[in-house]
Amino acid sequence: MSTAFAESEERRDLRKAVAELGRKYGRDYFNAAYREGRKTTELWEEAGKLGYLGVAVPEEYGGGGGEIGDLAAVCEELAAAGCPLLLMVVSPAIVGTIIAQYGTDEQKQRWLPGLADGTSTFAFSITEPDAGSNSHKITTTAYRQEDGGWRLSGGKTFISGVDEASQVLVVARTEDHKTGNLKPALFLVPTDAPGFTWQEIPMGIVSPEKQFTLFFDDVVLPSDALIGSEDAGIEQLFAGLNPERIMAASFATGTARLALELATEYAKTRQVWKAPIGAHQAVAHPLAQTHIEIELARLMTQKAAALYAAGDHMGAGEAANMAKYAAGEVVCAAVDRAIQTHGGNGLAEEYGLVQMLAGSRLSRIAPVSREMVLNFVAQFSLGLPKSY
Amino acid sequence: MNIVVCVKYVPDATADRSFDSSDSTVDREGVDGLLSELDEYAVEQALLAAEDGDGEVTVLTVGPADAADAVRKALQMGADKGVHVEDDDIAGSDAVATSLILAKALGTLEYDLVFFGMSSTDGTMGVVPTMVAERLGLPAVTYGSEITVDGSTVTVRRDGDVATETITATAPAVVSVTDQSGEPRYPSFKGIMAAKKKPVEDLTLSDLGIDASEVGLGAAWTKVLSFAPRPPRSAGEIVTDEGDGGTKLAEFLASKKFV
Repeated sequence: MSTAFAESEERRDLRKAVAELGRKYGRDYFNAAYREGRKTTELWEEAGKLGYLGVAVPEEYGGGGGEIGDLAAVCEELAAAGCPLLLMVVSPAIVGTIIAQYGTDEQKQRWLPGLADGTSTFAFSITEPDAGSNSHKITTTAYRQEDGGWRLSGGKTFISGVDEASQVLVVARTEDHKTGNLKPALFLVPTDAPGFTWQEIPMGIVSPEKQFTLFFDDVVLPSDALIGSEDAGIEQLFAGLNPERIMAASFATGTARLALELATEYAKTRQVWKAPIGAHQAVAHPLAQTHIEIELARLMTQKAAALYAAGDHMGAGEAANMAKYAAGEVVCAAVDRAIQTHGGNGLAEEYGLVQMLAGSRLSRIAPVSREMVLNFVAQFSLGLPKSY
Repeated sequence: MNIVVCVKYVPDATADRSFDSSDSTVDREGVDGLLSELDEYAVEQALLAAEDGDGEVTVLTVGPADAADAVRKALQMGADKGVHVEDDDIAGSDAVATSLILAKALGTLEYDLVFFGMSSTDGTMGVVPTMVAERLGLPAVTYGSEITVDGSTVTVRRDGDVATETITATAPAVVSVTDQSGEPRYPSFKGIMAAKKKPVEDLTLSDLGIDASEVGLGAAWTKVLSFAPRPPRSAGEIVTDEGDGGTKLAEFLASKKFV
């Protein structure tokens, strides 16, 4: 059996087209949007119109009919152009995948066309203040109402982009399964629903996309707010989480590529003694090492996307976790080494690296921490005893 | 309205371009090639002009095997089909020979209008549109910054240094467009996927009845004798302000004829 290590011509052309669009905006646009308290709406809308946000949505709902690997390529190229869009990880990848795979026909008709062209944006919420990485401690609960609808009560934290979203997909429990191992049910909650409020968490990350704490105070929902089936919850949830990790890895490798590109250019041109600083191995080797580590992380991301597209969800899960781990490590290293290459300029706003510093650490923590990935690999790949 | 857009595959203008030291032609090895950015404007205008009617947009290129990338990009943007003239004997052709090949290839196609970019981003001569028009005996309206097609009439606005002209021509005609004509579209994902199913016809010199001696480096009317990289920028002049800094700056600007 042979495996192709080159991406298809179409995906390479997609990368080129997206990179061109990304360059039109670039990191100056992204940083200015952050500084001025704006959103990257123009870029989001243009990418949506061109079908880049909906590449993985089925064609019958107005999408491109592509794979998660295509969507990941879009995310990576935009990040590499200086416009990392966190909501791509959430809206088309997690929510889009879950609705496309598990939504009722009506839910698909209603929600997927907006996901395909980017006109609707969805947030996703699972993390709770008292549960953290332990999803089994989630307490947000949905109570069945007499009319068949639901009443939602609870709270979430570190939820991205709620202020830009029309709906939030909420991971909750039903009252029949209030305790014990998580048996999740997923609800779409409109951001203007009475009883639903949120508060911004001030973050040190340079991004127009914000983080929020959410409060659900007896939010009344119609019966069709439940996505898919009440019983298939955990399967549905996992269906969205592999794409999330693949996207998070691409988000990170894109940013790492940008940091490396800036560092390499600087090392080639900065000269204070007789040769450019890149001629010194102490400068060159860390950059070469970064290039290798980026390519390794990208390769594992592509493997995860290929396994996912082939329907091997267990294999994809392991590869997606490894890719997310590797990408999180390399983006931290890339930004760190790029700043070191620049000396004092690395911390000057003009050079655009210091703005990437806090964001690069995000990739090591979210959507699943490095430590939880290592737990997963220790337990499932190596068969080591469970530690928690 | 059937439109043929003639496009060129060129080395990426944002990269470090150079010449091939063996024959002083463009070095295609060291730099990635792509559809000339100036030709994207012609593709855009052709697509807009064809959008309302039931005509087709055909993209035509003359170039090496990799020039298929330029055709594919135009097909991804929305052109309907492609024609690629490729032959080893074409290598090194000048504008005169290129216009001969394009004119012969156009002879095999049905068209009302022929669109060009204002010039290539590598040769930057901008003479091929007029040469092709001359060979075909067609009117040429060049450097259009606004193009309106109505029935068989094309109206073109030309913005010159001292005047703006509005010129109309009756199809068939040759039109070249500037980078002021409107931003070219990006290929959509659907466009990228659709392009692989669109037909591309490959032609050789013998298909077009052209003798190899008429084209290529040997037939070129000009010859590149030598080339040298642009010298690195020299250090700027530092004016020390000893109370007369303003005067010195003004003198400098005056010496360069800025003031």
